[in-house]
Amino acid sequence: MKNNIIILGGGQAGIYAAREIRKNDSESNIKILGEENLLPYERPPLSKDFLLDKKNEEDLYFHSSHVLKNENIDFENISINKVDFENKKLVAKNDNVYSYDILLISTGSENKKLSLDNNLNNDIYYLRNLEEAKIIKEIVANKNKNKITIIGGGFIGLEIASSLSQLQKKVTVIEIGNQLMGRIIPKQIADLVQNTHIEQGNEIILNKQIDKITKKNGIYEILLNDNSLIETDFVIAGIGSNPSVKLFENTNLKLDNGIVTNQFCETSIKDVYAAGDVSNFYHPLYERYMRLESYQHAQNHGICAGKNIAGVKTEYTSIPWMWSDQFNLNLQLTGICDDYDEIIERGNEINNGVIYFFLKDKIIRGACGLGIAGKIGRDIRITSKLTEKNTIVDKQILSDQNQKLNKLIQK
Amino acid sequence: MSEENWIEVGSTDSIEEEDLIRFDHQDKTFCVYRLADGFYATDGICTHEAVHLEDGLVMDDEIECPMHQGIFNIKSGEALSPPACEDLKTYPVKVDNDKIFIKID
Repeated sequence: MKNNIIILGGGQAGIYAAREIRKNDSESNIKILGEENLLPYERPPLSKDFLLDKKNEEDLYFHSSHVLKNENIDFENISINKVDFENKKLVAKNDNVYSYDILLISTGSENKKLSLDNNLNNDIYYLRNLEEAKIIKEIVANKNKNKITIIGGGFIGLEIASSLSQLQKKVTVIEIGNQLMGRIIPKQIADLVQNTHIEQGNEIILNKQIDKITKKNGIYEILLNDNSLIETDFVIAGIGSNPSVKLFENTNLKLDNGIVTNQFCETSIKDVYAAGDVSNFYHPLYERYMRLESYQHAQNHGICAGKNIAGVKTEYTSIPWMWSDQFNLNLQLTGICDDYDEIIERGNEINNGVIYFFLKDKIIRGACGLGIAGKIGRDIRITSKLTEKNTIVDKQILSDQNQKLNKLIQK
Repeated sequence: MSEENWIEVGSTDSIEEEDLIRFDHQDKTFCVYRLADGFYATDGICTHEAVHLEDGLVMDDEIECPMHQGIFNIKSGEALSPPACEDLKTYPVKVDNDKIFIKID
């Protein structure tokens, strides 16, 4: 059956959904509506290789316009400001109306902003999109912007801190919690990452809140809640994100920390699907709802939504996986590391890789590792497979780096 | 094609089945694999970012990059899963007297 399929949101989930729909459905019209005037692009390099000039804009696009044209996928740069689910219509800011038979919402997430009680809100920079990355890159190219403070010790803040340190900047990271990356990364690994930042010359301040930021003669003074004062030339904040759901707040669409979806990416409204950062989805293996903000999830969830939209009923069972690259370290996390009754350590030296496994009832629920370049990648990947298959594991093999984990996989 | 291009990598028992070894020759790095039906060789660096594939997972004729999980078919070099989108170069392999050779052009 020929449908009008609209994908609202031109990011990674949207483009992968579009291509997956086309793979299974050659007839329907597929249109992606994107707020940025850019084809879908990769965000991970923005805080790393793009700032370091190792990748430029052209390297970031997932697919060329040529690929989209070949697959008959339309992309339109437009901002939607009203959704009428009852009549299956989207209304744009310029009053254009888009009718759909099936809608996929992949609007992603947006940065939380600091709320300062003076007029300095526009002096604080954030990094989510290419435009913001370009601005930061241009500012740090100025030699007078030497002392840089990053508010928030999560993935994005630390990746920027790593890049700016490599650009010879004097970097301070201020984190409100008692460890870095505290939302999802176990403390054991976070502490190893922290040591590396300190060894590389970055200052890490934990357990501190910002009381006030003032500006004098172009220099910012950040007053912390212990009355210490940090002088800095430039302030960047990475303090988390919220799902982009403003458009749906006064509609019937069920929202709870994003758009609530089942394991088939279906929302509470018929013919409306959601995928990627914006979706709080049910994970059948973990038997709970989760909202993830990661590259692998955006891609795989988009693909899963695409299949379901095209009529290929498919459960989303992907084991969460994410990475962060800082300095020469590669951090990876698979599964869920906050629900366990036992922790097993594999390796104790970053050069050869260190992994902590989090087990519950003898089954690995999640693992987090850190190593030079790809040292821990294979073991983390095998761990995902073990988790996916609910395999009861031999703990002795897990803890012994001289024994390969391949032998734990039951075929 | 001259005989000289066949470079000795090592003995066949230096690679376990469904595994790989890294082989450096001059300024290039290769991966040599042992699959159920024989030996194969590819470039040793992922086409997505400059990461050595030697620490990647070999499974079902595929090599998965250890850093960002791009996946390639070992026999054809085809990039199968993002973020990898550029194929991996493959090289002919032969076994002679329990020694593995790869042909580098």
